[in-house]
Amino acid sequence: MKKQLSFPLLIILLLGLVAVSGCADSAGKTGVHMASDELVAAVGTHGGEPESGFDPITGWGYNHEPLVQSTLFKRDSNAAVVNDLATDHTISEDGLVWTVNIRDDVKFHDGVALTAGDVAFTFNKAAMSAGRVDLTMLEKATAIDDDTVEFILRNPQSTFINKLIGVGIVPEHAYTSSYGQNPVGSGPYMFKQWNKGQQVIFEANPDYYGQQPYFKKLTIVYMEGDTAFAAVKAGQVDLAEIPHTYANQVVNGRKIVSLETIEACGITLPTEPNTGEKTADGYPVGNTVTSDIAIRKALNIGIDRQSLVKGPLNGHGAVEFTGVDKLPWVNKEAIFEDGNIEEARRILQDAGWVDTDGDGILEKNGVKAEFTLLYASSAQDRQALAVAVSEQAKKMGINIKVEGASWDKIQNMAISTPVVFKYGDIDPTDVYLRYHSESYDPSNWNNMIRYSNPVVDAHLKTAITSPDEETAIEYWQLAAWDGETGYSEKGDAPWLWMASINYLYIMDEDLDIGTPVIQPHGGNIFGNILEWKRIEN
Amino acid sequence: MSTSVALNGKGMLRGLNLRQRTILLISLMSLLLMTVLASSLYIDSSSLSTNFDSRNLAPSLEHPFGTDWMGRDMFARTLTGLGLSIMVGAFASAISTFVSVVLGLLSSMGRAADSFVSWLVDLFLSIPHLLLIILISIGLGGGATGVIIGVGLTHWTSLTRVVRAEIKQINTQDYIHISRNFGKSNWWIARKHILPHLVPQFLLGMILVFPHAILHEASVTFLGFGLSPHEPAIGIILSESMRYLAAGYWWLAFFPGMSLLIVVLAVDVIGENLGKIMDPRKAHE
Repeated sequence: MKKQLSFPLLIILLLGLVAVSGCADSAGKTGVHMASDELVAAVGTHGGEPESGFDPITGWGYNHEPLVQSTLFKRDSNAAVVNDLATDHTISEDGLVWTVNIRDDVKFHDGVALTAGDVAFTFNKAAMSAGRVDLTMLEKATAIDDDTVEFILRNPQSTFINKLIGVGIVPEHAYTSSYGQNPVGSGPYMFKQWNKGQQVIFEANPDYYGQQPYFKKLTIVYMEGDTAFAAVKAGQVDLAEIPHTYANQVVNGRKIVSLETIEACGITLPTEPNTGEKTADGYPVGNTVTSDIAIRKALNIGIDRQSLVKGPLNGHGAVEFTGVDKLPWVNKEAIFEDGNIEEARRILQDAGWVDTDGDGILEKNGVKAEFTLLYASSAQDRQALAVAVSEQAKKMGINIKVEGASWDKIQNMAISTPVVFKYGDIDPTDVYLRYHSESYDPSNWNNMIRYSNPVVDAHLKTAITSPDEETAIEYWQLAAWDGETGYSEKGDAPWLWMASINYLYIMDEDLDIGTPVIQPHGGNIFGNILEWKRIEN
Repeated sequence: MSTSVALNGKGMLRGLNLRQRTILLISLMSLLLMTVLASSLYIDSSSLSTNFDSRNLAPSLEHPFGTDWMGRDMFARTLTGLGLSIMVGAFASAISTFVSVVLGLLSSMGRAADSFVSWLVDLFLSIPHLLLIILISIGLGGGATGVIIGVGLTHWTSLTRVVRAEIKQINTQDYIHISRNFGKSNWWIARKHILPHLVPQFLLGMILVFPHAILHEASVTFLGFGLSPHEPAIGIILSESMRYLAAGYWWLAFFPGMSLLIVVLAVDVIGENLGKIMDPRKAHE
């Protein structure tokens, strides 16, 4: 027995030693700089290495700059749509025909000209394959001539523009099933080499139709956050995405940049009561406590978001009220005053929640105001927010029992149990999928709480079937709050939105990354790579 | 003043014989464990809560073990974690002893029963211990109960083997044969002749299972099974501290690891010294 014991003991001792030696090592080192027009980046740790390669048909570049390929449109730092390959576009009156004119001076990396035929091929191919991009609304794309493409839709869809933003154009003549391993595109960077599991190397495209990038060689290495941080410290990497825990680290010759994102973190508050109904897999449906609108409103009004940003997020974030606060389709009227515990208490009291047994937790009809709040065990920021919200809720007499869980468990439990989620899509389809009653689909994380309000449904339907984004925006906003009801706190309050969470990067002090584009879930730091440069000193 | 007390203490110790000194050592160690357990039970819940104004503080008088990334006091967290560890350890020893008593006596009942017990022990030993704990704790729906029962149900094997061997040896003694020839039943022999011989084995085995159980509980929670990442268990605290080593927050790993080590060694010391007292071959050393 003694012999077996010594091994775990040894491990503990070693751990202690590492801990002590760890602090001796924290002195900063000046890095060994590579050639100044080369950049080694350890980013993309969220999406990680694309499993099926750098193929836009299977999802590469959706929501972020594809580098190798170029897209018809892009979004800038204000989420406004700007032309890239496209020169202009028109939408027919009935919203069923989208005509896009493209540049005629674009060549793929192999020298072949990019024509409307390649665009049509790309979208027809993407619609046929079950990739990450949902193109079910597209009937077909056709090339009218060399620089005009026509998209015929099955039904009008205002969000179709996001598909034109999301899919990089692939060459028809060079597209094979192994395209993702050796991609050819028309983007600012040419694919050079991919060492799976380690790194991918891109080189600047000398024939690029836009501005030439400053960095002639771009290497993306695949590392976990703490490894990446160590690599930056050792001078092996110029730019790395790091966990929030490293926010206060000081490293010689490096700066820490905190990028605002639209990654909104919120808690679902199931609106259905628990009637004993079970899902097909036998999990309970609904939550007796959160189905009371007073609880949902009180939490929304009573929680102090500013202190959540200052505390758990260490200042690297911004308050969030509707889940789309920074996007054009936010309804400013749905934003409210928060941190008002008195008002929250009053709402609860008016609804009949009173502390009858003196334990500090309210009761109503013998039901205690308490529920479990699940967060993904692997996510530290969600854990911190969950714990902080639970401590704040206690002051209102609501007992939130925080519990870490696996995603599998969360998927099954979300319909009955509040969960900390993060959403951040530049496509308003996300709003439709989150709040429309018919969107309920746990396997795709859509409307996890089966929220249903016919008025909101109608607004969302009108918005998504509007011919273009400008018309749609009004209805996206009405869905949040139309003066009587909506998905925001003023309406049904099915969510408790807390904060949007910044992404943190550590980079060379002389690196200038310009004005970043809007940063969705997973980040898009390379969105404005053409503006990047080193400041000479 | 203090030196005279220390001298007095030394004089007092000198006056004791080895046996008394051993007993003193045992009681001191037990007192340490009891204190840890008691203080973990009566810890103020507010000292476990977050305080974002005082995050990642190095050890000081106010926070002897420092604070973590959410500004929680590591001393309170470590104590709570150790309390859980000790409870898991106690529970596992109790179950292990009970199971090994039952199985050990069963094995003395006859050939078939004996093969059954050996088969059961072999079966459990054939699965890697940690894996078995994880399997059981997931099977029971995870959570703290899963870990406690998982650890509790898997530590009886070696003790059962010891007990069985002991019984085999006792069974060859003359007085057992005589009893049998007098027509006493197996059950009577097991109760009156064998059980009294086994009591020291049980007691020692029980204490020696304790540190194993504690370390296994720490390992399982270290790997992320059972408890949620925000709850204080010694394994969780240690695994969380790994992320901060590169950031230079050494106290997050050092103190909890050291405390776990001390608790485990304390139990080990108790077990060893108890062995000295109870084992007739060593008692007069």
